[in-house]
Amino acid sequence: MFQSKQKFGEVPKPLTYLQCLNCNTVNSRPFKDGDHIFKEVEEKCPKCGSTKMLIIGIYVREEKAKTRKPSL
Amino acid sequence: MSLLQFGGQQDLASLIATVMWLLFMMIFFFYPTFSQRIQLSYILRDLEKKLNRLKLIRDDVRGRTLYSLRDFSEAGERLDAELDRLLNSFMIYPESMDPYGIVYKLEHIVTTWEDSFEEAVRELCPKADGDRAKTLTNLVEVARGVDYIYRTVRHYYLLGKKTANIYLVLQLQMLMPQIMEIADAYRQASHAFAHGQPIGDGVGVLAVAKLVKDLEKKTYEIAKDTVVQEVSLDGRRLLVLRAVGPGGAVGKPGEGVRKLMEAEGEKVKAIITIDAGLKLEGEETGKIVEGVGVAVGGIGIDKYKIEEIAKKRNVPLYAFVIYESIAEAITPMRESIAKAADKVLEKVKAIIREKVGEGETAIVAGIGNSIGIGMT
Repeated sequence: MFQSKQKFGEVPKPLTYLQCLNCNTVNSRPFKDGDHIFKEVEEKCPKCGSTKMLIIGIYVREEKAKTRKPSL
Repeated sequence: MSLLQFGGQQDLASLIATVMWLLFMMIFFFYPTFSQRIQLSYILRDLEKKLNRLKLIRDDVRGRTLYSLRDFSEAGERLDAELDRLLNSFMIYPESMDPYGIVYKLEHIVTTWEDSFEEAVRELCPKADGDRAKTLTNLVEVARGVDYIYRTVRHYYLLGKKTANIYLVLQLQMLMPQIMEIADAYRQASHAFAHGQPIGDGVGVLAVAKLVKDLEKKTYEIAKDTVVQEVSLDGRRLLVLRAVGPGGAVGKPGEGVRKLMEAEGEKVKAIITIDAGLKLEGEETGKIVEGVGVAVGGIGIDKYKIEEIAKKRNVPLYAFVIYESIAEAITPMRESIAKAADKVLEKVKAIIREKVGEGETAIVAGIGNSIGIGMT
């Protein structure tokens, strides 16, 4: 619908970080509409298979800077 | 002496070049502002290109807003015109010739403006629930902001062109890099608000939400869109104040703190505010700085109210600021900002242990937009 990709720079896409309420494993997936921090969702934990997960963070991952820091 | 020897030249081509050069120099002699005219046309061309880009951004944000509203609206074809009506709405600042009582006059006007704006969006989108309606209101405000930037830049561009005023367009050209950066941040913000993603400005709210997480608490609304969560931490009683989430709201922290102070009397021993703050160029995003005072942005009403009541009761004010740029504040939250919420929490706990005695009470206010940050 919108021509953002051709005309403008890419908008950073956040990831949703989920913590399993059973084994505390944290994993991430792309953000989905309806996600919000501290929301309990029914998604399968990739480690223990439990279906109770808590969204503990939604943020855009930053790549570590490869260039050295400016001296100023 | 032949004509070809004019000016010491020997061939016809050199003669023509010399005459042309002389004519060109005479333009500057008889028309002293010629160079300025050339410069003006270059600046106007540059501004026109940037204005076109600004228009594209404006249209993109407007289109996204319209698309988001349509899902919750029953207005049909009227929606387009209704959105334009909201985009062109305005708020008139109170008269400041006599500054006495200006803050409360300003508060009255801002509250009326915010309420009527939200009400208009709710009427337009009856299918949206409470949180969604707040988020859509934020989205319309973003669209209104970018539309205003576009119209203002266009005004100065056309005025400069009409009056051939180089000083006017020169100033505009100098400001354009920052204006374009802000406009692009608005464009990215429209994505965040359309999807309900947390933004950088919400770091203060995120920090206090983490502070009360897993603690036994009593939650109640103290002012519009503002909640207080009473918790106990290391024997200290904390009144944690934040905007209600996960819909986009900033609440009324000033009014909230004032009401809490009125209700608590002399019990409150410290007021701690946590907010995102604008970093200077060259500074690291997510850096935490601490100081004294009220860390609250906006037009100053909330800051004034907290300062006023704190001074009256002689309560110290401590502040924590998480640095970020203006673009980072309104676009989806970055990793470094999200991680800063955990770090600032430790600092807040440390200051509470240091400045507030056991059995005493402190107010901790997380300032910012609560979009995408639920209640704990």
